[in-house]
Amino acid sequence: MSSAEKAIPRSLAEIPNSRPRYIGRPTNRLEDPALLTGRTQFIDDVVLPRMLHCAILRSPHAHAKITAIDTSAAEKLAGVAAIVTGEDARRWSNPVMTVPPGWGTHCLAIDKVRFVGEPVVAVAATSRYVAEDALELITVDYEPLPAVVDARQALAVGSPLLFEENGDNVMFRKLFTWGDVDAAFTDAAHVVQRDFRWHRLGANPLETFGVISQWDEVEGTLTCRGSFQAQNHFAMSRAMVFNLPLHKVRFISHPHGGSFGGKGGARGTDITALLSRKSGGRPVKWIEDRMEYLAGGASQAWDRHYDAALALDVDGKVLGFRVRLLDDLGATAEGWGAVSAAKPLTAFTGCYAIPAAQYDLTIVATNKLPGSPYRGMGPPPHNWVLEQLMDLAARELGLDPAEIRRRNFIPPAAFPYTIASGNEYDSGNYEATLAAALAMGDYRALREKQARLRSEGRYLGIGLVTTIEPGVFDWNAYAIVGQPGTGVPEGATVAIDLFGKLTIKVGFALEGQGQYTVAAQVLADWFNVDIADVRVIPLDTLSAPPHFGPGGSRLGVAVTGAVLGAAQRLTEKLIAVAAGLFRTTPDQVELRDGRIGVKGNPEASMPFQEVAQAMLGRSDLLPPGIDPNPEATYVWTAPGRTPADDQGRAKSYLTAANACHLVVVEVDVDTAQVRIEKYWIADDCGTRLNPASVEGQTQGGVAQGVGAALLEEAVYDEDGQLRTSTFMDYLLPTIYEVPMTVKQALCTPSPFAPLGAKGCGEGAMHATPAAILCAINDALAPLGLEFREVPASPQRLWTLLRQARRDR
Amino acid sequence: MTSTRRIGMTVNGERYEADVEPRTTLVDFLRGTLGLTGTHVGCEHGVCGACTVLWNGKAVRSCIMLAVQADGAELKTVEGLARGATLHPIQQAFLEKRGLQCGFCTPGLMLSIDELLARTSAPTDTEITDTIGGHLCRCTGYQAIVEAVHLAIEKLRTK
Ligand code: FES
Ligand code: FES
Repeated sequence: MSSAEKAIPRSLAEIPNSRPRYIGRPTNRLEDPALLTGRTQFIDDVVLPRMLHCAILRSPHAHAKITAIDTSAAEKLAGVAAIVTGEDARRWSNPVMTVPPGWGTHCLAIDKVRFVGEPVVAVAATSRYVAEDALELITVDYEPLPAVVDARQALAVGSPLLFEENGDNVMFRKLFTWGDVDAAFTDAAHVVQRDFRWHRLGANPLETFGVISQWDEVEGTLTCRGSFQAQNHFAMSRAMVFNLPLHKVRFISHPHGGSFGGKGGARGTDITALLSRKSGGRPVKWIEDRMEYLAGGASQAWDRHYDAALALDVDGKVLGFRVRLLDDLGATAEGWGAVSAAKPLTAFTGCYAIPAAQYDLTIVATNKLPGSPYRGMGPPPHNWVLEQLMDLAARELGLDPAEIRRRNFIPPAAFPYTIASGNEYDSGNYEATLAAALAMGDYRALREKQARLRSEGRYLGIGLVTTIEPGVFDWNAYAIVGQPGTGVPEGATVAIDLFGKLTIKVGFALEGQGQYTVAAQVLADWFNVDIADVRVIPLDTLSAPPHFGPGGSRLGVAVTGAVLGAAQRLTEKLIAVAAGLFRTTPDQVELRDGRIGVKGNPEASMPFQEVAQAMLGRSDLLPPGIDPNPEATYVWTAPGRTPADDQGRAKSYLTAANACHLVVVEVDVDTAQVRIEKYWIADDCGTRLNPASVEGQTQGGVAQGVGAALLEEAVYDEDGQLRTSTFMDYLLPTIYEVPMTVKQALCTPSPFAPLGAKGCGEGAMHATPAAILCAINDALAPLGLEFREVPASPQRLWTLLRQARRDR
Repeated sequence: MTSTRRIGMTVNGERYEADVEPRTTLVDFLRGTLGLTGTHVGCEHGVCGACTVLWNGKAVRSCIMLAVQADGAELKTVEGLARGATLHPIQQAFLEKRGLQCGFCTPGLMLSIDELLARTSAPTDTEITDTIGGHLCRCTGYQAIVEAVHLAIEKLRTK
């Protein structure tokens, strides 16, 4: 394309339609009829000829040497087609890639196991029932080794080592310093310092991971169908694991039942690929069951020990922010490893203008399940620490929590604003968001009610927190932990068929956020057609334009950019043809409200579909040298991104959405039950492409935040045995715990992103745990108690309350 | 292990007969043997409700029932809700109110709601909460589901 190509529209006014019907409206979703009638083909619904089913034998030990494996009895069982162990993995594959490198293993344990649930042997048989029967016939001899389960002990001299060859258990260590943080703390009138503990919890999408792999030894290819959150990334990693050229690896994504970052599946994919190879190329399906997901899947994130401090002047202005984080990543760094601990750099200081900051980050390995991403990636715990410290500082200075925040907000006139840790926030009006939340909840009346009930011996707590949601992730944010690259491409191809209907081809599958609908809304408005005239089709990794898919609050914005870019290119093509038909020059022709015609001459125009029809069916009418394909592709990547410096500073995430959550809880000081009474959210994520989808993302994030704050925890005992191996023990929030929230939308458009939209899928997960914990501490303040552990389970809270009663 | 039993049942008004291993779960039978894959499996241990089907009009969790227990029964699955391309009022209400995101929990949930609304056309808020309360949805945060139930009640009343 020529360098004169137009920029991607950053507002609705720039698209060639005077009456857009879909963008910005709560358009019904294209994906829903198939989902509602049970017709959507999830991976477990797929059956292929001669398909086998995989079952996996897993380690019962947290740390042990494997001394012998006997599969002979299982091999004789009727219906068993192939069995693979670590030896096959060693022969045919490489260890999985990790960030940082050197902390990964093969898909099946070789020589030793490092966590309970680690795959050791896998069977492919004619049914899952038979495959599981076969597992019972396999014997594995172990020689147990001492396990290290606690992150602090993992740092101690003489600790058991996960990877002996690495010399210690430290996966990553770095001190990031931004500005003169020592001076900030020396000059401070107040320093508020506390420790915080966030326990392991994770994504738990309702559908677990599933895959069908087929190894073709004649063609030398690997084809995998499955519920991959980022199919292209999966394909690249498999090419490296199996030493295959990338074009010999083909990944086909099926719609998935949620992901939230925690779909996982790399090991299962590699295991089924090995089984397929060993069975002579038969397709092998593995559907992870829930207990496998909880013990061995992508179900755990954020096992964190914090020590953090704010330095403030006499007026409550924050001068500096220090965070020391000990992050327990579990046995390996395979689940995007250090990426999640690095993400807070993109919004380290939240909504506040804090000139100096420091991040002392240590990531250790322990004998627990490798950590995985989860909605928000790293900021949910980080934002809780920051917001809770703001509340504690307010208490120390005698300020209202709303007031201390107001005094520290980045002012609206300061945008675009570069924070101490290097990222640039595009736009925002944090005071307005805070004011909206306070008004919705009638904050003053809430405080009065709180005082009244306190005199009656009831403990109401008010939580008021703000958050920044960095949107449109970029690899440069993770350069510092060893992830290469700047920019994350997302491509779309837009085509008009002979009968005038439109197709958008993309490289990602349905996951629940409604991005096919967003893509269709944008294209329908661009060409001014009914949305039913647009169909969105997912393509596999070898067919789709470069893509990444959902992740890091990016896809809504990214696919909008891609569709706009492709539509713009396609329009240029149509204009070139139409100029020939109208016997004029392209600069005299335009698309307007679905018609292509000569500027200023309404008589000389035709529906855009007719131009496409001429391209496909009337070569005699076309100007010479014209490309007769009414189709165009555009690969969007965020503009203006910069590489990171040695302190990790970069323009990384393109957009910065902002929200303020206000919650009222009541803590029953006798039973330690926390009841959420009311919940208000003011949210500013720029232009809302589909407001109903944004609200759904917000409410869904609140639910996961409630789970994190009060219920969810993956519990290991001191031997590294998982105590929460079913949904009876690992508690997901139900309607009984999740509040129905009152929401208000504000809009400060992004000046940089397509149509002014900002990433909006994660913010509620940043704010909700913080809001609930701040509210609990607000309730406990008159008792002189502080609670700094997530989740605030009844048992933990009860222990604190009982202890306090004893001490009194 | 390989011995089978012949069972028969009606699913969504259609009659089926098949030989099954006694240990086959009902959900594996519906999905694997009959190919009715609209019923989903979220936990396989009776907690999440994704696998809910109607068994003689009652909502049951098909992951913790055996296929042989459904011998002679009348079953209804999500495939039995719509009439061709015309969505059932519950489905239409879910669509309009965004009662779903990934849609994985939705078939089971809609069948529990179907059971509730077959029993009473004007359920109380508690009854609605208790119906949804038997299901886990990881995506929606339940608010839009509650709204969908209210709209479904409205639609069924004016039908
Ligand atoms: S799959 Fe049956 S209750 Fe979860
Ligand atoms: S819509 Fe995804 S689990 Fe309910």
